[in-house]
Amino acid sequence: MREPETPAAAARIGAAAGVLSLRPSVVATLRDYGIYLALGALVAYFAIALPQFRTPDSALLVLLQVSVIGIIAIGMTFTILTAGIDLSVGSLLAVAGMFSGVFAQKDPSAVNVALAFLLPVAIGLLGGALNGVIIAWAGVNPLIVTLGTLTAYRGFVVWYRVNPIYDLQPYYRAVGQGTAGPVPIPAIILLAMAGVAWVVLNYTRYGRYVYVVGGNPEAARAAGIDVPLMKFSVYVLSGFCVGVAALIFTSRLMAAQAISGQGFELQAIAAAVVGGASLFGGRGKITNTIVGALIMGVLFNGLVMLNVPAPIQQMVIGVIIITAVWLDAVLRQRGY
Amino acid sequence: MLDQVLLVRMRSISKAFGPTVAVDGVDLDLLPGDIHGLVGENGAGKSTLMRVLSGFYADYAGEIVVDGRAVRILSPGQARALGIGLVHQELSLVPELTVADNIFLGREPPARLPGFIDLAASSVQARRLCAELGVHLHPDARVARLSIAERQLVEIAKGVALNPRVLILDEPTSSLTRQEINRLLDIVRSLAAKGMAIVYISHKLDEVFDVADRITVLRDGKRVATAPTAEWTDATLVAAMVGRDLSSLFPRSRADQGAIRLEARHLGRPGAFHRVSFAVRSGEVVGVYGLMGSGRTAVAEALFGLAPAGEGDILIDGARVGIRSPLDAIAHGIAMTPEDRRVRGLVPMLPVRTNLSLRALRVLSRMGLISSAREYVEVQRMIETLAIRAVSHDVHVSTLSGGNQQKIVIGRWLMIPPKVLILDEPTRGIDVGAKAEVHAIIDRLAGDGLAVLFISSELPEILGMSDRILVMRNGTLVGEFSRRDATEERIMTVAAGVAGEGRAS
Repeated sequence: MREPETPAAAARIGAAAGVLSLRPSVVATLRDYGIYLALGALVAYFAIALPQFRTPDSALLVLLQVSVIGIIAIGMTFTILTAGIDLSVGSLLAVAGMFSGVFAQKDPSAVNVALAFLLPVAIGLLGGALNGVIIAWAGVNPLIVTLGTLTAYRGFVVWYRVNPIYDLQPYYRAVGQGTAGPVPIPAIILLAMAGVAWVVLNYTRYGRYVYVVGGNPEAARAAGIDVPLMKFSVYVLSGFCVGVAALIFTSRLMAAQAISGQGFELQAIAAAVVGGASLFGGRGKITNTIVGALIMGVLFNGLVMLNVPAPIQQMVIGVIIITAVWLDAVLRQRGY
Repeated sequence: MLDQVLLVRMRSISKAFGPTVAVDGVDLDLLPGDIHGLVGENGAGKSTLMRVLSGFYADYAGEIVVDGRAVRILSPGQARALGIGLVHQELSLVPELTVADNIFLGREPPARLPGFIDLAASSVQARRLCAELGVHLHPDARVARLSIAERQLVEIAKGVALNPRVLILDEPTSSLTRQEINRLLDIVRSLAAKGMAIVYISHKLDEVFDVADRITVLRDGKRVATAPTAEWTDATLVAAMVGRDLSSLFPRSRADQGAIRLEARHLGRPGAFHRVSFAVRSGEVVGVYGLMGSGRTAVAEALFGLAPAGEGDILIDGARVGIRSPLDAIAHGIAMTPEDRRVRGLVPMLPVRTNLSLRALRVLSRMGLISSAREYVEVQRMIETLAIRAVSHDVHVSTLSGGNQQKIVIGRWLMIPPKVLILDEPTRGIDVGAKAEVHAIIDRLAGDGLAVLFISSELPEILGMSDRILVMRNGTLVGEFSRRDATEERIMTVAAGVAGEGRAS
């Protein structure tokens, strides 16, 4: 899939090519780093308007709150970079969290502890692999496949156990509620995973291929890249991120519920897209996705502290998402 | 007196994109019944000038007079109302719609029921139009199923359907074969004979010489000269375009030919080509010529594994190899630059660096981690070797000219030197200067001992660059000529199947 606006823009630029000098203009810089400015402006606004927002605790709270969505958004960024999408993340999170809870409820023997921590990740990988196989080798559209598994995974977990599990063993809270010094463990996991993803996308062959597969699958194939394998791998990655997020989420709530994670897919997509990732593939950055998630988190927190009613919050966030993507499109159309 | 017959008079037209001046004070006059050739290198401002006339840029400077009345053309709709029609360089068809739908897109014949389209009328009118133009296209065929050449004809039919008084053709033949081009030039002449003023933009100078009454040369946004075609020669035209003497467009020096590198034996794929056998030696450039649908690209795609051959054998250095995918081909040292660099070659939104180093990453990385320093060095080396003009390694390739884009596609494959290089239409849509450079690169590669298979629709280029020429028709190899024996007439005769001339050697 190609962006409809690109050929026209390319043609316009192409007409002037040869004599075209691409000096790094203010606007181009804005396009690359505008999202940091946006986050800065939001933080500044809330810091001025709300005394309680100024505390370091408030910053850590935001980090904690965006950690689950942020981790999912990392995987989502990989799928979006290949011009795909993963809508099943919320449902898969519920499945992975449920099985984690089943073993976290049992007596803390070594086997049960290991299963409580590792099973969600394994289930995430498995669920992602199932998505990936169908998308990569059966060639079904990712939107359809993951829309299907969004429903199917949710159905499975509700069928498996409709009642929540609340009486989890105390040790289990370490992941979701623990801190290292003042910093919440989930925030550390988020930053660590973001760091690894950043290195992978910027400095590894695999990361390059992700961009190329999304940017032009035909060219990727002609360059000898195994396009189906690459597509498969990003859904496995997305599943892995969901598994980790499920563990944190269940541990933080100290509850495993079949209804967990509803709507998470949209929040994760929003984080990536606000961060400038193109749904047509080939364009996007991990750092921007994380900043996108932070923007959503800061907004949400600030609006809560300002006592803005929940329905109004939703409307504000909706407008922000559309504005961000519109601005991005406008700047790109101008050729910046 | 001239003013009265002038249809369009453009004076001191300028148009800038930000700091870049694309068109700089250009004058142009168009007369009814006159075919005006507009030539210049990529970026000379030809397309921009014509897009100004077609109302795409409301912020141009200068004056335009149509029919003796001064006008400011601010929108494509206004240009259309003034009788100015533009056939785009970029294909702008909707693939899922039919030929007729595309021709009448935006002004479909209405049915009696409001909002509905009279499909029958649309189809009938499209059929009549195609017949008038002498184009063999089924009005109800979906555009997605048409070849690039056929799509280009639809694009032209779309322009003519508006019945304009000024018809601008921007690179109308970039994907057509000789035969189709001749057909098109006839159409253009007949339109001019009906009193239409025609602007003909092309990189192919022989076509411009063939069809144009007058030729205007643009360079760096400025008009260099306008003169009747008879006053131009190949040499003066090229010199005016590039602003310097091109010592040679076809710098083929004889290289020492080595052992047979690539051999195809009875290669075939049902429905595409059959029993194709040939060999390419190290240091040899073998040209492949054929009309659209002759199977030349299919053979190349089979050799590279994009569409594997079902029958026959491929041999590399005398050993039989199985090629089922590009990965196999690459493993055996075969490289290929695709016919359409935008579709299969470039990743437009990624930078020059990424596009160039793509194939070499395996070598440039250790345990999956890319060494930025080594990548920089290798990319820089390739940029220098091929004289790629890019501001930095980080510019998106979509901002480069066609010639530079093509060099990047070629350069990608040279980062790890292959044994066999297949070039499918490497000079399509690039300007004369860049063309000469690509030819020089081909010559140098053959000199380095590469076996080069060179596919082109342009006969002069095939004749100028090849040591040997293979001619294909209807999926079979119908002729083989040595450089000495080859002439345009002989090749065309075989390619078009006019006389059953068999193998000349």
